[in-house]
Amino acid sequence: MKRSTTLGVVGTALAVAVVLSACTSTGGAKEGAKSVDPAKATGTIRVLTPAYPASNEGKAAFQAVVDGFNKTYPHVKVEPDFATYATLNEKISTSIASGAGYDVLVTGVGWVQPFAAKNVFEDLGNHGVTKKTLGEKSTPALIPASTYKDKIYAWPLTADARAIGFRKSAFIKAGLDPKNPPTTFKGIKAAAEKLTERDAAGNITRPGFDFNTSPGNYRQAFVQLLAADGKDLYVNGKQNFDNKQGVETLNWMKSMINHVQPFGQQNAALKPMTYTNDAPMGFVGGSIDCSEAGVGQANCDDLGFFLLNNTREVEMVGGNLASVGANSKNKDLAWAFIKSMSSDAALEAMAKLNNQIPATANAADSAIVKSNALSKFVAKNLGRAIYEGGATNWLEVRTDFNSSVDDVLLGKRDAAEVLGELATKSR
Amino acid sequence: MTTTLSKPSEVGVAQSPRPGRSGAAPRRRSSVVSRQKRAGWWMIAPALVQSVVFITVPTIAAILLAFTDYSFSGAPNFIGGANFVELFGDIRFRTALVNTVLYVLVVVPVSMAIALAVAIALNQKIRALGAFRTAYYIPVVTATVAVGTVWLWIFNSGSGLANGVLALFGLSPVGWLTDPNHALSSLMVVGIWQGLGAKMIIYLAALQGVSPQLVEAANLDGANRWQVFRFVTWPSLGPAQFFVLITSIVGTFQVFDLVYVTTKGGPGLATNVLVFDVYNNAFGSLRLGYASAETVIMMILIGGFIILGRRLQGANTHD
Repeated sequence: MKRSTTLGVVGTALAVAVVLSACTSTGGAKEGAKSVDPAKATGTIRVLTPAYPASNEGKAAFQAVVDGFNKTYPHVKVEPDFATYATLNEKISTSIASGAGYDVLVTGVGWVQPFAAKNVFEDLGNHGVTKKTLGEKSTPALIPASTYKDKIYAWPLTADARAIGFRKSAFIKAGLDPKNPPTTFKGIKAAAEKLTERDAAGNITRPGFDFNTSPGNYRQAFVQLLAADGKDLYVNGKQNFDNKQGVETLNWMKSMINHVQPFGQQNAALKPMTYTNDAPMGFVGGSIDCSEAGVGQANCDDLGFFLLNNTREVEMVGGNLASVGANSKNKDLAWAFIKSMSSDAALEAMAKLNNQIPATANAADSAIVKSNALSKFVAKNLGRAIYEGGATNWLEVRTDFNSSVDDVLLGKRDAAEVLGELATKSR
Repeated sequence: MTTTLSKPSEVGVAQSPRPGRSGAAPRRRSSVVSRQKRAGWWMIAPALVQSVVFITVPTIAAILLAFTDYSFSGAPNFIGGANFVELFGDIRFRTALVNTVLYVLVVVPVSMAIALAVAIALNQKIRALGAFRTAYYIPVVTATVAVGTVWLWIFNSGSGLANGVLALFGLSPVGWLTDPNHALSSLMVVGIWQGLGAKMIIYLAALQGVSPQLVEAANLDGANRWQVFRFVTWPSLGPAQFFVLITSIVGTFQVFDLVYVTTKGGPGLATNVLVFDVYNNAFGSLRLGYASAETVIMMILIGGFIILGRRLQGANTHD
């Protein structure tokens, strides 16, 4: 009896602790900067960022931002937490549960609406940010992904654009016109079939089209293809994929898998196979290193790029976006640090580290964009941007998307059935 | 020591009423007993604190949260058994449950059998014995992330070693981790390989504890090698078998890092296992209440498997 009473007390205490930690708002810093002279402001701000890899280069680039910030705020300490996108949710959720939330959180486009809805991110309107002011300085491509209920919750730092790349030499060899690459589902499939190479037994030795993804991650390709077929994934937070175009898109992907590329095929470097001529056509990122340390100039010269355009020409754009933690006790310092992260020099360095482009209104003028043809191409087309996400429960649905899309591609389930199920979960 | 600690009052009660005897001695003994008790508590205190903080409290927390809709923000609301009802209608959970049970049913007995065979081989007087023992134990001390990365390369459908070997025999490449018909089996192979060393060491220690007199007596009675193993060695391995079985069941049920590094539960749900699903629900979907309910079911399942294993081996454990 005594033991059960003790357990009950401990359990109740724990439940109370969980409730309290969920309700309390604590931050890393102790003193605000509002109406405080920056030179006299003190405290510590905790920065969660997957935008800087935890390598020497990444840490040096982050330190350069801190050094710049400390010129104005010499007594404010900055504590970075170099996360990856794979561990981002763990970091954020456990920090909320423990009551030790971050002051600055760098996340991706799919994160903003869910965390804004959960009151994890601060409305940047409190720092004077509006759609208009954001639009003046940032690329319009990422404004929808930064917005929740007409308020801005994140400041875009870099854009991770996706296009389709192809090898001009392979096109010529296969009798295709490199000046007029296919952009529709039908055209791409026909070209991919011509470009696919097989051995005597019929096994694919060189895929005709590279989805550039691992099993469980075909979701992003689906989102991009669906948009090219005229449908955004979500419209005003409501699902927009359980329809004729959604089924058509998934079935088209299924018709490509194990026909022009084995399911889940990637090269050992996990980079787009088109960059290294392992595939003559496929999804590529938004920046390519053409130096000898990268893929080399000869490889770059052989590459051409186009956008998917089944019924609408689209470019998928992700990226790094910075938010102020709603539980931060030093929101003004956090916002000041985000401004330091958004300097031209800082964004240039961040873009280079991530093979992305700066998410600024004048991205086309940046050195990294000018350095390679792929970045020039995607920067020019940012006006055609679409993004993944848009619903407050996207992080939940995303997990189901991953396995469900796989099931369709492998012929285990029907496309319409799967999309119907995902639509139900999206509500 | 045991007697003194377990029956302190009896000592005092038996001696104090005797007439003509001083009460000082029993009081002294009682004081010693108290000191020993206190010392005992102090000695177990670190382990007790560790158990309470890292085992008892999280377990109770998981059980309590299983009945809530807690999702890291806001207060948890009590929702009764709704999470459990939803779980049994969730295809992800059902698949994870089946995959995990299959994984346990294959990996535990196969790895135990191979480990025993290896231990018997390494219990012989052969050359380079130390090198062999070390080689078999290396996977145990190697980080699973490193192990997973190496196996990722081995199983790479394009340029992996496994398909390279198949090609030598003119066989078509196999999507070891990308074909849903092969992915779980491929992970089972890695799981068996990885757990071999730890089991082998325990079996080896147990084999070296088998009474040589019994073996010699059996030989003198004309027993052949199989009969010696069946009637002398095998019964002597009972406690070791039991320990290996229990630790294997618990460890195998909790397979996570291997799946996280290699397949992320895919393709589709082909390698989705319970702990990975718990992780996805907690940190991917941010549904800690739901994930806790899944954890509770997993705990019950592990308990059930342990009871089953105990019953199956009961006659042979000497516990």
